[in-house]
Amino acid sequence: MYNKNEIIHKGNIVQAVVVADEFEDKFIPITNEVPMSLLPLLNKPLLDYTLEFLYLGGVEETFLFCCSQVDMIKEYIRKSIEASAAWSLNMKIHILVSESCRSFGDCLRDLDAKGLLRGDFILLEPGVVSNINLRPILKKHKEVVKKDKGAVITIVYQKAGVGQIGRSAEDDIVVAVDHNNRVLYHKKTRLLEDKRIKLPVEIFLLSDEVSMLHNLKDAHIAVCSSSVLPIFSDNFDFQTRDDFIKGLLMNEEIMGSTIYLHLIRGSQYGGAVTNWQNYQAVSWELKDRWAYPLVPSLKENNLLKDNVIGNGTIVPHDANISRCVIGNNVVLGKNINLEDSFIMSNCKLEDNVTINLSVIGNSCTIRKGSKIIENTVLGNGVNIDQNTILKNQLIQATKPDFCEKEDILGQYAFRLKPDEDEDEILQKLPRLHNMKESIETSDDGFSDSDDENLSYTQSPVLDDTKLFFTEVIDSLTRGFEDDLQCDNLILEINSSRYAYNISVKEVNFNVIKAILHMYLRQPTGQRYFSQLLSYFSPILKNYIRNESAMQDCLQAIEDVAITNEELKENWIVFILNWFYNENYLSEESISNWGRNLDQSAKFSVQVKPFLKWLEEADEEE
Amino acid sequence: MATNIEVEHNNEDTLDVMQLISDIKHSQLINSYNTATRTVDFLKSLISEQEWTTAQELMDLVKKRMKIISTSLPYEVVSLNILRHSLKLIREEYRSILKKKKGEDLSPPQFVTPDYREVLDYSETLPDLKARLLDQLTEYKVEMETSCENIANQASEHIHTNETVLTVGRSHTVERFLISAAKKTTFEVIVAESSNILEGHTMANNLAEADIGTTLIPDTNVFALMPRVNKVIIGTDTVMANGGLRAQAGLYVVALAAQHYSVPFMALAHMYKFTPVYVGPHDKTTFDLLGSPADVLPYSSGPMLNKVKVFNPVFDYIPPELVTLIITQQGGNAPSYVYRILTELYVQEDYDA
Repeated sequence: MYNKNEIIHKGNIVQAVVVADEFEDKFIPITNEVPMSLLPLLNKPLLDYTLEFLYLGGVEETFLFCCSQVDMIKEYIRKSIEASAAWSLNMKIHILVSESCRSFGDCLRDLDAKGLLRGDFILLEPGVVSNINLRPILKKHKEVVKKDKGAVITIVYQKAGVGQIGRSAEDDIVVAVDHNNRVLYHKKTRLLEDKRIKLPVEIFLLSDEVSMLHNLKDAHIAVCSSSVLPIFSDNFDFQTRDDFIKGLLMNEEIMGSTIYLHLIRGSQYGGAVTNWQNYQAVSWELKDRWAYPLVPSLKENNLLKDNVIGNGTIVPHDANISRCVIGNNVVLGKNINLEDSFIMSNCKLEDNVTINLSVIGNSCTIRKGSKIIENTVLGNGVNIDQNTILKNQLIQATKPDFCEKEDILGQYAFRLKPDEDEDEILQKLPRLHNMKESIETSDDGFSDSDDENLSYTQSPVLDDTKLFFTEVIDSLTRGFEDDLQCDNLILEINSSRYAYNISVKEVNFNVIKAILHMYLRQPTGQRYFSQLLSYFSPILKNYIRNESAMQDCLQAIEDVAITNEELKENWIVFILNWFYNENYLSEESISNWGRNLDQSAKFSVQVKPFLKWLEEADEEE
Repeated sequence: MATNIEVEHNNEDTLDVMQLISDIKHSQLINSYNTATRTVDFLKSLISEQEWTTAQELMDLVKKRMKIISTSLPYEVVSLNILRHSLKLIREEYRSILKKKKGEDLSPPQFVTPDYREVLDYSETLPDLKARLLDQLTEYKVEMETSCENIANQASEHIHTNETVLTVGRSHTVERFLISAAKKTTFEVIVAESSNILEGHTMANNLAEADIGTTLIPDTNVFALMPRVNKVIIGTDTVMANGGLRAQAGLYVVALAAQHYSVPFMALAHMYKFTPVYVGPHDKTTFDLLGSPADVLPYSSGPMLNKVKVFNPVFDYIPPELVTLIITQQGGNAPSYVYRILTELYVQEDYDA
C-alpha cells in the first residue's frame, strides 16, 4: 500500500498516467508471453520510448497502470532504474497493479478510486512514441479551463496526409472544431460501413466558425482535468477514450463537459503502436528520426540502409534483406530472403529460409527451406520444421487449450485459431505495409479491406434493431441454458425494447426470429425443436396476441426460412404446423399470408402442401 | 490492490553525471555556454561532495565521468573539454602545493611547457588541494563568463569602417561581436537566413535594432554576394585539433565561396570549444548527426513520405585550409596554431581520456 507522504499532493508537479495494456489481444501470440509494453521496437522495449518521451516532455511523476504480466514490467523498470536510464533520474515512477481491469475505462475507474491524482494530468493510451513537449499543452489546457469551466480534456492530434504509413486506417477520423478548437463533432470513420457521415446541424448553428478536419492522426495523448476520472466512474459503460469522447459530445448539455483539440506543430511527432501496421510504421519513422531526439541508439549510422540490424547479428553476404528489423544475436544461414519483416532477438534462421511481411518472435528457430509469408506472426520460442510453408497464420510455442490435430505443426508450433469469426481475424491481423508495393506502384496505400468496404452498397440494417435482435438472442439462449422463468425473459426483452426504442411490430418480428435462430445454433432433431418451442411458449403467448402479431410472426418465419436453406427444406412445414396446432396462428391468418406469397418463389412451393392441407381440413369441417 | 516499488539507485556515485548527460541530451541546456557553466558547477560539486583523498583519486573520478559522457553522447565536446581542462588544473595545483611544501621557489617563470612526468604519482594527501581547486574553478568560471565580452572587445581590430561582413544564421557570440564593433565604426552586415531553422531572421532583427545596416538573404544567394563581402564571420560548434571546424550545416559551402573570392573566413570560438580530437570529413560518428526530417518536409506531406527519404544533417566539417582566423578570448590565431592552444589547455596524456 501507499506511503502517506506519497499521497500528499506536491504543488504544481506534472503527473502522467500510462495505461500499459491494450486489452484487445492485437499482438497475440507474442503478447501471450511478453506484455505489450515490452514489445521490442527497434530492439528497445516500447515502454522505454514512452517513458523517455514523458520525461522529455516535462513530466515529473508517472503512474504506470499494468494489468497483466506485471512482474516482467516491474523487473524491467527496476533494471532500467539501476542502469540509470535517463527518464529515471528526474521522474518518479509508480507501478499500479490491478488484475481485475478489463478495459481502459476500468483502469481509470480504479485510478479514481485510489485518488492519487489531484490536478491536471497527461493521459496516455498504450504504446505511445512521441517527442511532444507537453508543458505548453498543459499550460494551454489550464488557460482554456479558465475560460470554459466545462473543459475537461484536450486531445492531441498531428496533421498527417491520407495514405502515409504513419496514419493508421483504423484511426481514420473526422473532427469538427470551432474557432477556439473546441471539439463539436468527433467520429471514427473506419468503423462505418458507409463512407458517408452525417453532421448534426447544431454544430453549424451554435458557432460562427467551424473547421472540419480529416487530415489528422491521433497521438493517443490527452491532457485531462481532474474531473475526467469521476466521469469515467459515473459512466461505467465507457470502455475506451473514444467512448468517453462520444459520451461527452452526445450528452454535452447534461454533463456540461467540453472537449478541446490541440494540433502539434513543427518537428514534434506523435505516434502510437496499436496494431502491427502501426508497429511497422512507427519503427520506420523512428529510424528516419521523426521522433528526434528520441532516436534508436544505433552504433553505426544505419540511416542510409533499409534495415536495422541488432548487436551481435552477422548478416552473411548472400543474404537478401530489405526493409527488415532484425534483433540482437540472430543467427542467419545461407541464402536467406527477408522482406518487410520483423525478426526479434535470439532467433535462428537456417539456410534457404524466406520470410515476407511477417513477424517472428524472440528465440524462434526456423529450419531449412521454410517459407513464412503474408501476415504470419510467430510467438516466442516457436520451432518451425524443414520446408514448412506458412501463410497468414498465428503460431505459438505452447499448446493452446483447444487444439485440433491439424493445428499441431511441431513440438513447439501450434496454429492459433482466434475464436471470433472471419471478419475479426482480418481486422486483428492487418497486413504489414508492403513497402515494395507502395514504392513501385502509385497506390495510395489503402488496405484491401477498405476497398471492400467502399464497394459495399447495400443499405445496412438500422443499428438499434440489430442490437436489439442480438440482445434478445442472448437473453433467450441464457434463459434456455439456465432454465430461467420465461416471465423474467419477457421482462428482459421488454427492457431491451425500451432501451433501443423498438416498435411493437418489430419486437414481435424479432422475438420470433430470435427463437427460430436459436434452433440454428443447436443440434438438430424434431424432438428437440418442439421442446425448444414449448419451452418458450409463454413468451410466444405473450407476444402473439392478435391478428397483426400473427402476421408479424409469419413474416419472421418467412424471413428466417428464406435465409436458411436447411430450415426451409426440412422444418418449415413442421413449424407452421406446430404454431397452428398450439393455436398461436389462426387458420385465417395463415391462409391470408399464403395468398400474399410470391407464387413463383421456391419458398411458396415448399409451403403449398401445408396451405392446401389447411384448406382441405377447413372444408371437411 | 495497489503495489508500488521504490528502487534505489545502486550506482549512486555516477548519478550526477547521468543528470548532466540527460540535461544535454534533452536540450535543457540550450547553447554551449549553458553547457559549459553547468559543467563547471558539476565539477565543483564533484570536488566538494565526492569522497577522495588524493589528486590521483580525484582524477580517476573525473576520468570515469568523461568516459560515461563520451559513450552516451558521441557528439558532445564542451563538457568533455572542460573536464579535460580540469585534469590539468588538478595536476598544476598538486605540483605547486608540493613544491611549496618542499620549500622550493614558487614557480619560476616558465617558458616551456612544464614536464608533468617529473611528478610520478599524485598519491600524496594534500589537505589544501580541495580549497585551491575550488578557487581555481571559480576563477575559471569568471573567465568563461567574461570570454564573450573579451571576444567582442576585439571586434574593432577586425572590422573596419564601411566594410561588409557576412554571417550565417544566429550565433550569440557573433551577435555580441558585431554590436560591439558598431559602437566604434559603421559597417554593413549581410545575414544568410540559414535555411530550415531560419535563425538568421532573429539575428538580422537583433542587429538592425542595434542600428547596424543589415541585409537578410537566402542561403542560395551567398555565392552571388560574396564578391562584395570583405569578411565572413561565423560562430562554430567545435574547433578540431587540426584547426578544422565542426559547424552548423551549410557553412562549408559558404567557406568554399569565400575561398573562391579570397574573402577572409573568420570563426569566433571560446576556449572550451577546442578539442584535441582529430577528424576527417569521412569520420561518420563525429559528423553524421541528423535532426528530425520535419524541419525539411512537414509530417503532413502525405503519401510522399512513404517514398521519399529526408536527411537533415546538423553539422558541416570545414577543413583548416578554408579558415583564415580563429578568434578566442586570448586573441586571433591561425588554424595551424591550434595545436599550441591545445597544449596550453590540456595535458597531452589526457588527450584521449
